[in-house]
Amino acid sequence: MSRKIVEIAGRKLSLSNLEKDLYPAYGFTKAHILEYYRRIANVILPHLQDRALTLKRYPEGVDQEFFFEKRCPVHRPAWVKTAAVNLEDREQMTVCLVNDLETLMWVANLASLELHVPLARAASPGVPDSLVFDLDPGDPANILDCARVALILRDLLKPLGLTGLVKTSGKKGLHVYVPLNRPETTFTDTKKFSRAVAEILQKNYPELVTAKMAKEYRRGKVFINWSQNDSSKTMICVYSLRAREKPLVSFPLAWRDLEDLAGQDDPEKLQVISSEAVSRAEKQGDLFSEVLVKQQKLPHL
Amino acid sequence: MAVTGIWTGTISFSLVAIPVQLVKAVRPGRVSFRLLHSKDYSPLARRMLCPEEEVLVPPDEIIRGYEIGPDKYILVTDEELESVSPERSRTIEILEFIDLSEVEPVYFDQPYYLVPAKGGEKAYRLLVEVMRRTNKAGLAKFVLREREYLVAVKSVGEALALITLHYREEILSEEDLEPAQGELEAMEKSRLKKSIENMMADFNPEHYADQRRDRIMDLLKKKAKEQGQVEAPRVEEEEGEGPADLIAALEESMRQVKKSR
Repeated sequence: MSRKIVEIAGRKLSLSNLEKDLYPAYGFTKAHILEYYRRIANVILPHLQDRALTLKRYPEGVDQEFFFEKRCPVHRPAWVKTAAVNLEDREQMTVCLVNDLETLMWVANLASLELHVPLARAASPGVPDSLVFDLDPGDPANILDCARVALILRDLLKPLGLTGLVKTSGKKGLHVYVPLNRPETTFTDTKKFSRAVAEILQKNYPELVTAKMAKEYRRGKVFINWSQNDSSKTMICVYSLRAREKPLVSFPLAWRDLEDLAGQDDPEKLQVISSEAVSRAEKQGDLFSEVLVKQQKLPHL
Repeated sequence: MAVTGIWTGTISFSLVAIPVQLVKAVRPGRVSFRLLHSKDYSPLARRMLCPEEEVLVPPDEIIRGYEIGPDKYILVTDEELESVSPERSRTIEILEFIDLSEVEPVYFDQPYYLVPAKGGEKAYRLLVEVMRRTNKAGLAKFVLREREYLVAVKSVGEALALITLHYREEILSEEDLEPAQGELEAMEKSRLKKSIENMMADFNPEHYADQRRDRIMDLLKKKAKEQGQVEAPRVEEEEGEGPADLIAALEESMRQVKKSR
């Protein structure tokens, strides 16, 4: 096993298997992955900050076995920040907080290609700082159908005084985030609200939308997964890589760009690959920054 | 190997204190099944039923009673139970060293391994080595999940194993069994002794396997290939009625959306 010691902010980190091709169909090695996360660090770190990370590790590559790891691996450098998360039965679990570049590199080195985080911070696990509409297309519906639903959602939320932001899931769907950032918000609120919205869309666009999770309702429709608004659930972090054939990224899109893309008949155009993600982030900064700061109140609850 | 311990602390005796984690040493071989509703494959949940009222009892109405006779109980609260539970401890303190062969197998409960934590590797190796040479086991007490256990710590290969032991009062005495009857004949004794001697072997656990488990696993593999799986409906399927004001506001907003499209 090849090893390379690097030093980041005065901390030593041992990187392993850098030449290992983790996206064999595309040709994207561990070194490429580390390079991607290093270059995207300044926009992804604020979204990982103080959140309990769930690692999704692909030690043998994206086409091989993976495993989820909620507990922070025991063999971690002493400088990795952690938080204690309460479980049932008075037990506690130690989770990793990815608050700096060195921890991000350490996590990437564990072949955790995908970084999943909850909608709440570790210190206030019952307070979602945003609400999410997870738009998941059931075959043969695709990301273009998700784009239609996302645009309807944007217009539906506007008269209620709410602004949403949209990102690709990096797989087949889209995620619409509604920033809240108010300490009194609960997951009961966000779930109730997102469910009511999902059901009204289902009622008005029955051919396009379903709010039901059962597979038989989802064929050819966009499933609005409102149940993601839960303290026990995690979402793929914006700017995280996804484990598909190609190193696609969960990437934010401007509403105007989504409108343009929805009008063209090419679902692939909505997808953002790692190299493009880096150059777009360098040019436009963090299109998702409002998710972390904009304060909005859910009305009529 | 990245292991996640179920307990972290130190093992200590005299002046040595080694940071360790406790991990399970066995993975139960039993194949477990979920119980499903045959109509829709929903996994079934256990609920508490009050047979008197024929109602499901919510968690906040469930309390503990110690049965002292038919329909008679002494009530105990969680706080009271907690007040008599031992303090959580972070040490496995070896009190004495014993010969494990003196311990009857009926005392053995659950086996675990102790894994060295960061900084403890060297002292751990030393302890493993010394315990192997002396062929002794350390007897210790420690608290795991609100219960104090008596445990034996012994070296196994390159590692330390920890076995929780039953307390004396938990062991049913063999003297309570049917009393022995009749005299034993010397002839019979020596014949039986000989046949035991003829059957002597080394302990080779790899010669034995849970055949039922293997057959179940083969059956499952075959069925997965031939018949595939069934899928449970996801939960929370019932149509929810949101707050009336919210529904009204959403409907108004929806009218505007449709008008502008």
